[in-house]
Amino acid sequence: MVNAILIILGVFVAVFAVLVIIDLIKAKKNNVRYHFKHCVSSYLMLAPAVTLAFVFVVLPIIFSLGYAFTDYRMSRPNNIQFVGFENFADLFKEISNKGELYHAIINTLIFVVCVVPLQIGLALFLALFTNRKKPGVKIFKVCFFSPVVISLTVTSYLWLQILAPNESGLLNSLLATFGVGPIDFLADKNTAMLWIVLMSAWQGCGYQMLIFSSGLTGIRDDLYEAASLDGANWWGKFIHVTLPGLKPTILYVLVTVFIGACRVMIQPMLMTGYQLHTVTLSYYMYQLGFTSQFIGLSSAVALIMTIVIGTITFIQRKVLK
Amino acid sequence: MTDEKTSEALQTQVQEDYTSVKIPKDKKKIVLDVIWYIVGAILSLIFVLPILYMLAVSTKSQLAADQATGIGLFLPDFANLGTFFENYRKVFTDYGIWRNALNSLIYAAIAIVLNILVNGLAGYVLSKFNFPGKKLFTFLVLFLITVPVETSIVPMYTIVTQVLKLNGKLAVVGVILPSVINIFNIFLFMQFFESIPKDYEEAARIDGATDLGIFFKIILPLSKPIVATVAVFCFIGVWNDYLWPMMLLTGNEELMPIQAVLQTIQNIDGVTTGEIMASLVVTSLPIFIIYVVAQKYIVQGFGSAGLKL
Repeated sequence: MVNAILIILGVFVAVFAVLVIIDLIKAKKNNVRYHFKHCVSSYLMLAPAVTLAFVFVVLPIIFSLGYAFTDYRMSRPNNIQFVGFENFADLFKEISNKGELYHAIINTLIFVVCVVPLQIGLALFLALFTNRKKPGVKIFKVCFFSPVVISLTVTSYLWLQILAPNESGLLNSLLATFGVGPIDFLADKNTAMLWIVLMSAWQGCGYQMLIFSSGLTGIRDDLYEAASLDGANWWGKFIHVTLPGLKPTILYVLVTVFIGACRVMIQPMLMTGYQLHTVTLSYYMYQLGFTSQFIGLSSAVALIMTIVIGTITFIQRKVLK
Repeated sequence: MTDEKTSEALQTQVQEDYTSVKIPKDKKKIVLDVIWYIVGAILSLIFVLPILYMLAVSTKSQLAADQATGIGLFLPDFANLGTFFENYRKVFTDYGIWRNALNSLIYAAIAIVLNILVNGLAGYVLSKFNFPGKKLFTFLVLFLITVPVETSIVPMYTIVTQVLKLNGKLAVVGVILPSVINIFNIFLFMQFFESIPKDYEEAARIDGATDLGIFFKIILPLSKPIVATVAVFCFIGVWNDYLWPMMLLTGNEELMPIQAVLQTIQNIDGVTTGEIMASLVVTSLPIFIIYVVAQKYIVQGFGSAGLKL
């Protein structure tokens, strides 16, 4: 592995050296002079950031790419064999056999398809709802934002108590007054993922609401007045003024919420543990790589995920631009 | 004559129409406002009730929590106000959560200082200096902002434990270092520093200041808003981080940050719901304080988030 790092480092230094020489030749042609002292201090001041970025940003990405084509296991780090596309073949076999990976894909799809429109729609609604100058509107905003303040870990543990299967759970004790239950919400194959969706949207949408709110203040008032003069009702104003004005904000929120949703893992991890009906792609990848120590296979999952997420985000940006 | 009459009649007719239209319009507005407030209150309750529940249960004994019904679910146990902080006392002294809270604070403080130094210096160099090979670094910054990094948490783990050999207590270094480097912060600093006029540096340079001296004495003091924004988001990030410290510090519970120790508290034999809730409240409190105190910088952060695309 150390050899691999040296090779990567070598390539990096070589690219850097070539660019430095090109810059120096260009400088000579154009009669630009670099101050030697400034150059040295520039490199020295860049060094900590470059070192850390190399170790913790660039290397993990390149390693993840490389591991995907090996049989690397954490228990025997010194005997890594190149296996070509074998990992990917294994993963496709797992999908066609409806194994854990198949469930992980289905659950992640359910989560993304439900949470992205729900969270963004809710956030946009709340932003429009609080976009009035009325006494008390600030209290509403604080209330809607309050779940953002508690972390995902705390949210998961809190809802674990709310959804507890016995009568000490809030929801079951409320249902008990109607003579229903107790229901084990998170053990139910059909509803567990939906509860995680609801909880995540509840926790996150206040954040996007604030982003939408600051986007709304950027839309000029005279556009609304002009629309009123043209006889537009609130729906017409929403379609022809608000939405076009919010386009960059919507694009940003869509991309970030989408990427975040694809990576969902803390909620099922803390609320149900590794279960077929709630396992997600990230959780599967983590379990495979960290707990079972199949780093090669896990990296293959990561590579597929990165390609799929990257492609979809690219399309979102192209379509909405 | 008849014409005048008809026109008069018309006028009163119009006036009547006007008033008869106007009154319902006002009424309509009031009704809309009332609906708006009712909808707002219901929505607010949906968002706040789970949190009120957490706060209420955290002050109750298990018995009181189990017996509460209706509105009492969201209120403290008024019959036993003497034991209001009993769960908190137990979480702090018996379960020692203060140690983990302190760990989190220390990790966050180190991460914030290093984050501003490392990324600030990089942003300073890339915005203010010209040197051969600069294009490569500028390109890398712009490229790496868009790469999803979380998918590489397992390779990062192998690098920290097997290449850097940060095992046992040394793993703490591995917990902090990845949160020190933040490519997006480099980009933020670059953007901000570029807006600082060159005159300031030149004046200092004439006075004999070094490149590093200018960064500390001129650039950083002039960039307080962006430094504060970076610090606030770095704090929230480190304080809320769960998975990464959990991976590295399993077995070293005395070094764990607070989010990772929540799991341990859940699994203690005989832990009450109230104690779990108390630990959750303690974990949320610093972030709550940050949001109240540093609101301005968080909103600023939202604004800069738009730059990401």
